[in-house]
Amino acid sequence: MDAFWIILTGFLVASSTGMLGNLLLLRKMSMMGDALSHAVLPGIVVAYLISGSRASLPLFLGAIIMGVLTTFLIQFFSAKGKMQLDAAMGTVFTFLFAVGVIMVTRFAGEADIDADCVLHGELAFVPLQVSGFMGLGVPGPVWTLLVLLAIIQFIFWMGYKGWLITSFNAEYAQSIGVKTMIWHYSLMAATSVATVVSFESVGAILVIAFLVVPAATAYLLTDKLRLMPVLIMSQGALSAVGGYFISEALEASISGSMSVMSFFLFVAAFLWSKKKG
Amino acid sequence: MEILYKYLTLADPNVRYVVLSIVLLGGVSGAVGCFNFLQKKTLVGETVAHSMLPGVLVAFLLSGVKNPYILVTGAAISGWLSILLVDAITNHSKIKSDSALAIVLSSFFGFGIVLLTMIQSRYSGNQSGLDHYIFGSAAAMSPEDSIAFAWVSILVVLLVIAYYFNLKAIIFNPDYAQSIGINSKRVNGLISFITILSISVGIKAVGIVMMSALLIIPPTAARFWTSRLVPMLLLSGFFGAFSGWIGAFVSYAKTSMPTGPWTIVAVSCIAFASMLFAPKKGVLHQRWSKLLLKRRINEENLLKAAVQNEVRGKGRLFTRESIMQRQFFEFKRWKRTINRLARKKLVLKVNTGHTLSAKGRSYGAEIDRRHKIWEVYLQRRMQMSLHLVHDEAETMEHFLTPEIEDEILSELGLCSRFNPILEIHELIPDTNLT
Repeated sequence: MDAFWIILTGFLVASSTGMLGNLLLLRKMSMMGDALSHAVLPGIVVAYLISGSRASLPLFLGAIIMGVLTTFLIQFFSAKGKMQLDAAMGTVFTFLFAVGVIMVTRFAGEADIDADCVLHGELAFVPLQVSGFMGLGVPGPVWTLLVLLAIIQFIFWMGYKGWLITSFNAEYAQSIGVKTMIWHYSLMAATSVATVVSFESVGAILVIAFLVVPAATAYLLTDKLRLMPVLIMSQGALSAVGGYFISEALEASISGSMSVMSFFLFVAAFLWSKKKG
Repeated sequence: MEILYKYLTLADPNVRYVVLSIVLLGGVSGAVGCFNFLQKKTLVGETVAHSMLPGVLVAFLLSGVKNPYILVTGAAISGWLSILLVDAITNHSKIKSDSALAIVLSSFFGFGIVLLTMIQSRYSGNQSGLDHYIFGSAAAMSPEDSIAFAWVSILVVLLVIAYYFNLKAIIFNPDYAQSIGINSKRVNGLISFITILSISVGIKAVGIVMMSALLIIPPTAARFWTSRLVPMLLLSGFFGAFSGWIGAFVSYAKTSMPTGPWTIVAVSCIAFASMLFAPKKGVLHQRWSKLLLKRRINEENLLKAAVQNEVRGKGRLFTRESIMQRQFFEFKRWKRTINRLARKKLVLKVNTGHTLSAKGRSYGAEIDRRHKIWEVYLQRRMQMSLHLVHDEAETMEHFLTPEIEDEILSELGLCSRFNPILEIHELIPDTNLT
């Protein structure tokens, strides 16, 4: 049963982040996942210090606020400060991460928190966090992720047209009166929420991987945007299953194994697309 | 104060190596980062730094010892592989470089985590310290480390000097560089080489993320101060080295504080300050010059309107109402503009209104004249229709310099004192203006 919950968690993370990753890929902002997962650290530390617990909700809030703040700062530096976009991104997230690490060191005595645990959430603990519901022992993270997936699916299909037009042709969208900045911020906010919600249970590295690798695999396999969600979810499912068995065989981190498995699937798609021409 | 004195004099031998290492590292990576920055590949460092983790661990697994030279070699090899892989993905598929970077980063780092957890579950005692390669530990710098940093710095500086021309050509004009026979693959390989070199020796000292920050932030800061390559390299190197020095000081003054993150906070502060205060490119300077421009345009518009009123025989005295017939001014803007003009002695206050001083009159007349010159130019050379030229000239009148004015006049074959009374849209189309 443990295996099932772990794989299901992996799959849920892959499908919710993968949908957003799809849009990030089209907007050439795939590194945003990496940036956000580092930048939220100070938010998590502050939330932890204020609430005094490792309860999920304050941490989510702290991280989400940081996520939006990061997006805003990057936008501000590149638009008002005239930094080139990649440099603005690199400067903002590494700075925030450094601040976070300093805070962690400063408050290490008072708080049971370290940079390690933020970055390497571990899937193996998911089945241990069981909460009873209707006689079923469903682990807490699975519930959270199910809700997240539902919300993201809902937002994704509601905002589908808006994101599509702002991703493919921002100038045209602007000219017909679409508020491109609002779409940009809402995508980034959704990404930070998904990043934070997921990496509490699976660790930052798998979030970064699942944000981009399934989407990139789907992008290599098809040109049809409508097909992509299906492909992304299948990719996520295969990575979750395959990764789980790799980790069993090697006695190694499940998150790491899943990201490696996901990469293997990407390589396969890459070779296939090359052969096809 | 005493701590600062002790730090400055480097009296403590332990601190000497830490400071030397981190300053050299900051300087080298600051300079190396410029090349990635100028090629708009800033985040390559982030991917390479993360991708080194599996290399370090494979080297450890194969050799079974924690010899830094072996581990650094492993790191460099996997860093190199990651760059090759990013290039392969972008060159042979429709995946763009940002996604390729993220894919390679997460896969390599994920693989690194797999290896790390494998090692942790198998080797109990002698693997500790390997995680320094993730978070860094500057306090553990030894004399050998400083010597290694010194060698790397010298090598990088020599390489940059030796290939300076090629590097510059490839960065600023790759097409031209190739046309004169520079091998772009080799030069890009050189950039990758020095990037990998500095990251691989640096990650143990400051950790993965801080290492990529050292490549990103100093060039970002330096770019605000200069547009030339050599000053940028020097400045960026200086920013990196100086922040390294500050970072080492903070952790010396308060031992629990980590060096790497403080270095990054310091260099980020330099970058933010540069963004705000740098001359020319800084935000404040740009705001200020925008404000000055706005003021000048308001003043010129007012003077021009006053001159036009005079020419049309409406008398030398003008008020806001009479100016408003030609040029719209809200009350506040009017008040500010007229006060500035009075302070500059371009207009004089009389009891019922204002009048132009001699200086103000000739200034306003000059603007009016430029307006007309531009109108004629647009109509004759650009074949623009007459009712459009006025609006165009409304903006251009503030930017025409005397040199451009002369050139336009001679091109149009007009007399250099060309100055008709009426604007072109007020005339019938075929009137001879000269």
